[in-house]
Amino acid sequence: MTSELEQELKHLIIDTLELEDVTPEDIDPDEPLFVEGLGLDSIDALELGLALQKRYGIKLEADSDETRHHFRNLRTLAALVEERRTA
Amino acid sequence: MTPSDDDTQRDARHWSRVQESGTLAGMRLMIWIRRHLGRWPFRLMLVPVILYYYAIRHIPRQASQDYLKRIWPLHAGRKPRCVHWLSLRHFLVFGGMLMDKIDAWSGRTLEARVDGADRARLDAAIRSGRGGLVLVSHVGNLEICSAMQERRDDFHVVQIMHTRNASKFNELLARSNLRRAPEIIEVSEITPATAMLLAERIQQGRFVMIAADRVPINDDGRTQTLDFLGAPADFPEGPFHLATLLRCPLYTVACLRDAEGYRVEFSDFDDTTHVKRVERDAWREQAMRRYVQWLTDQCQRQPLQWFNFFPFWGSSTTHTRDDG
Repeated sequence: MTSELEQELKHLIIDTLELEDVTPEDIDPDEPLFVEGLGLDSIDALELGLALQKRYGIKLEADSDETRHHFRNLRTLAALVEERRTA
Repeated sequence: MTPSDDDTQRDARHWSRVQESGTLAGMRLMIWIRRHLGRWPFRLMLVPVILYYYAIRHIPRQASQDYLKRIWPLHAGRKPRCVHWLSLRHFLVFGGMLMDKIDAWSGRTLEARVDGADRARLDAAIRSGRGGLVLVSHVGNLEICSAMQERRDDFHVVQIMHTRNASKFNELLARSNLRRAPEIIEVSEITPATAMLLAERIQQGRFVMIAADRVPINDDGRTQTLDFLGAPADFPEGPFHLATLLRCPLYTVACLRDAEGYRVEFSDFDDTTHVKRVERDAWREQAMRRYVQWLTDQCQRQPLQWFNFFPFWGSSTTHTRDDG
């Protein structure tokens, strides 16, 4: 069961990172986004961060452990947006 | 996995591990002397310090000589006659730069000129209101560039620095007399949070300075080996990845000392606003080549002002993660 926001984020990820072979259904909300799972890398993480900033006005603290937690999978990402969105 | 002796030894030569010789206490003492006793006692004190440093520090001396042997034929059209003397001068010029740096941080009036075409380009960049990423190097005196903003209320600089040095500088800055000190962002690696902060600053029309002639501590192996002064050397891809992600105007800046004092060179480099994702790898490759060319030109004109005292050539794959 995916929420509307999770669906929106799936599209954001696919569009931002131009993942041509990936459909929203391929992204399991509980699977890791980086390295395993979707196989994104650290540059993708930067790009995703910038996209979240642009679309939702999200700010992140400099703490990289916290960022790692937020960026773990689609669900944690959705929780971040829910909590911090200003746009 | 334990690294081999060879690895450990080569690792010790990575710039981030070569211990900074100037401790904070030493720097404070120098600032005190500069402030209370003036320029000449300060200069006099600097000479034995530099001589001592030159005599005991094997790695920086070796690195300096290696570089000078490569650059001198390009600069003077011949091999250096006495590389020891040249290298010692390299160290002394570095000492002089440190002195000016301390002056800049102490809030003294700066004698940095931005003339003619450079001024026109800088004005245009500021007027555009789009900010930008400014590629810099260890050529000349970066602090003078950053402190330049003290003179112009419309010029805002954000400087990216690697953690260990940055905390020292922040402490010095906190004690300095600068009316409007540049913002310094410490990074050991660029995280999504840093990228977002930088994007925000650029959006505000600020200029983010990043050095691209040194492989950072946590480089994730993202380096490109390029020909620099006749031999392969590693350059960090990080600044160029950042450039494509931030989608903004790019500039280069250097502040070289000549007979009349410091002169700021401000140039347009590129604009990544419309670089598509698929074009990024190709863009990065040519941009890095152009950057190395720019660095070569700077070194060729003022060979003693590239302040790199770490082994630069043939050190690939020695950059291991440093969480300490």
